[in-house]
Amino acid sequence: MSDIVPDTELDCIGLYCPLPLSMAKENIANIDIGQVLKILADDPDAEKDIPGWAKRAGHQILMFERSGQVATFWIKRIR
Amino acid sequence: MSFMQGIYLDNQSAMLPDPRVLDFAKRYLIEVPGNPSALHSVGLAAKSAVEEAREKVAELINAEDARNVIFTGSATEANNLAIRGTAMRNASKGMSLLASRIEHISVLNSMKDLQKNGFQLQLIPVDSKGIVDLQALERMISKQTIVTSVMYANGEIGTIEPIKEISHIVHEKGMLLHVDATVAAGRIPIDVQNDGIDLLTLSSNDICGPQGAGALYAGPDVKIQPVTVGGGQERGLRPGTENLFAIAGMGEAARLARLEMSDDSIRLKAIRDSLIREILKIDETHLTGHATNRLPHHASFRFDRIEGESILLTLDAMFDIQVSTGSACSSRTLEASHVLLALGLKHEQAHGSMVMTLGKSNHPDQISVVFDAVKKTVARLRALSPL
Amino acid sequence: MAQIGYSKKVMDHFMNPRNVGVIDDADGYGKVGNPVCGDLMEIFIKVKGERINDIKFRTFGCGSAIAVSSMVTEMAKGKLLDEAMKITRKDVADELDGLPPQKMHCSNLGADALHAAIQDYWVKTGKIKLDEVKKEDDGEGDACPT
Repeated sequence: MSDIVPDTELDCIGLYCPLPLSMAKENIANIDIGQVLKILADDPDAEKDIPGWAKRAGHQILMFERSGQVATFWIKRIR
Repeated sequence: MSFMQGIYLDNQSAMLPDPRVLDFAKRYLIEVPGNPSALHSVGLAAKSAVEEAREKVAELINAEDARNVIFTGSATEANNLAIRGTAMRNASKGMSLLASRIEHISVLNSMKDLQKNGFQLQLIPVDSKGIVDLQALERMISKQTIVTSVMYANGEIGTIEPIKEISHIVHEKGMLLHVDATVAAGRIPIDVQNDGIDLLTLSSNDICGPQGAGALYAGPDVKIQPVTVGGGQERGLRPGTENLFAIAGMGEAARLARLEMSDDSIRLKAIRDSLIREILKIDETHLTGHATNRLPHHASFRFDRIEGESILLTLDAMFDIQVSTGSACSSRTLEASHVLLALGLKHEQAHGSMVMTLGKSNHPDQISVVFDAVKKTVARLRALSPL
Repeated sequence: MAQIGYSKKVMDHFMNPRNVGVIDDADGYGKVGNPVCGDLMEIFIKVKGERINDIKFRTFGCGSAIAVSSMVTEMAKGKLLDEAMKITRKDVADELDGLPPQKMHCSNLGADALHAAIQDYWVKTGKIKLDEVKKEDDGEGDACPT
């Protein structure tokens, strides 16, 4: 379990491409720069798509955790 | 605000139900408050309406028995029932799934979702016109491939698939073929027996019926289980109080489509071919999908150096002409369409797509107006483009 | 008739874009985006006395992309270079009365292309060195290959 306190949480469990990625983008636009978005997803594609997008968009992945089928990302909005 | 003034070329997204369908079905909204499961005379009247609709849908697809038609709330629901209902029921026979790369997202995501239950999914490649690679299918299919799903025709590029050949390959392995006929039904003849189809998805609104109904045909030897559980409606396979108006409407739409499809397709093909011929005169313009094995009402293009949403907005705002661009999911996420990418197009080529689908309100007088508008739109956007 | 919830201002700038074109002897040139991602913007500026005297753009992209290009060039025209550098992505989106959330990256491209053009001018005139140029292009497009 992580002790990073997210500013907002996005639960995408059960949702498939393209939803996790499009919701991640919308959610990160709604938090301030420096704030942290926590994303939970169990779509195997999301585990690939989310870090790829975060990298290209310049956001920082503070932490990643996988528990069973669920992947959790803590992403800090950088810009 | 009336939307009847302009030229509507996005019939695939939505169409007004045929007025004759509304006329037929409205009594189920106004006069017959029956629950088809109720045993009194009002219930029986409702039940009879559902069964009559079932017969009409069965006739449209030449199903051997109307009882093999199950009504659902939409084509997406029918796809879910077909894929998940069949896979889970027959998991002891095999855990492999096959689908073409260009299937609708409700098919692809249903199969993806089944990966959580231990199923494996493989995607069959298509050629540059969207035709399924039959040799690849032969290589990929095995006696564990519990469901293979290939659409009758694709809504983004209009290509009609060689279903008979595909069915032959699938049946040689003793496996099941699901065909999503959402955009093909009512446009081209479908014969589940002669085409060798085990499961078939249909949509009401795509055949000019009301929104809110779909259907799944499941052949006599096909075992499926429900996805939505509850009471006993639709043989327990899709419980829930029936959407009487939509089902009755879907039946009537199916009947009219069966009778009028042949004449309609001649009329629409003529308009389609003129549109294609004219629009291809514009520079750096390409037809997407197969030139001849294509739906009679479907004309889809891509234009180099300009972007699809801009084309759509310009045609709408400047010329009051409505078209589509790529698939619905791509409009929300800005992804290039998975269908166009599956054809082997590069990303930048996939962004300039425009899809026109004809319907009852379209006639030959509109061709020159549309061509003129598209020509001007393309010129305008190319003048803006740095490419 | 707005298609996907674009504001009136966005539709106006899309249908009647201002400052379209090229400047052959531009003093500054900026290009951002990627046709692979579905968005490419180029901006040309002419500078006189540290002010943007003339500005033109060309854009390959969606309704937002074209509207943003038009708006950012309108906002920058006549401004001092330092002022124009301060125009943010949010400023552009606000001037357009907002963009749908999935289109916000288009406003990024507008401001970035402007800044790239200004920095190009500063590099050409020796004010800054090439390696001092702040690259803002976040390449944030869904279809961008990883």
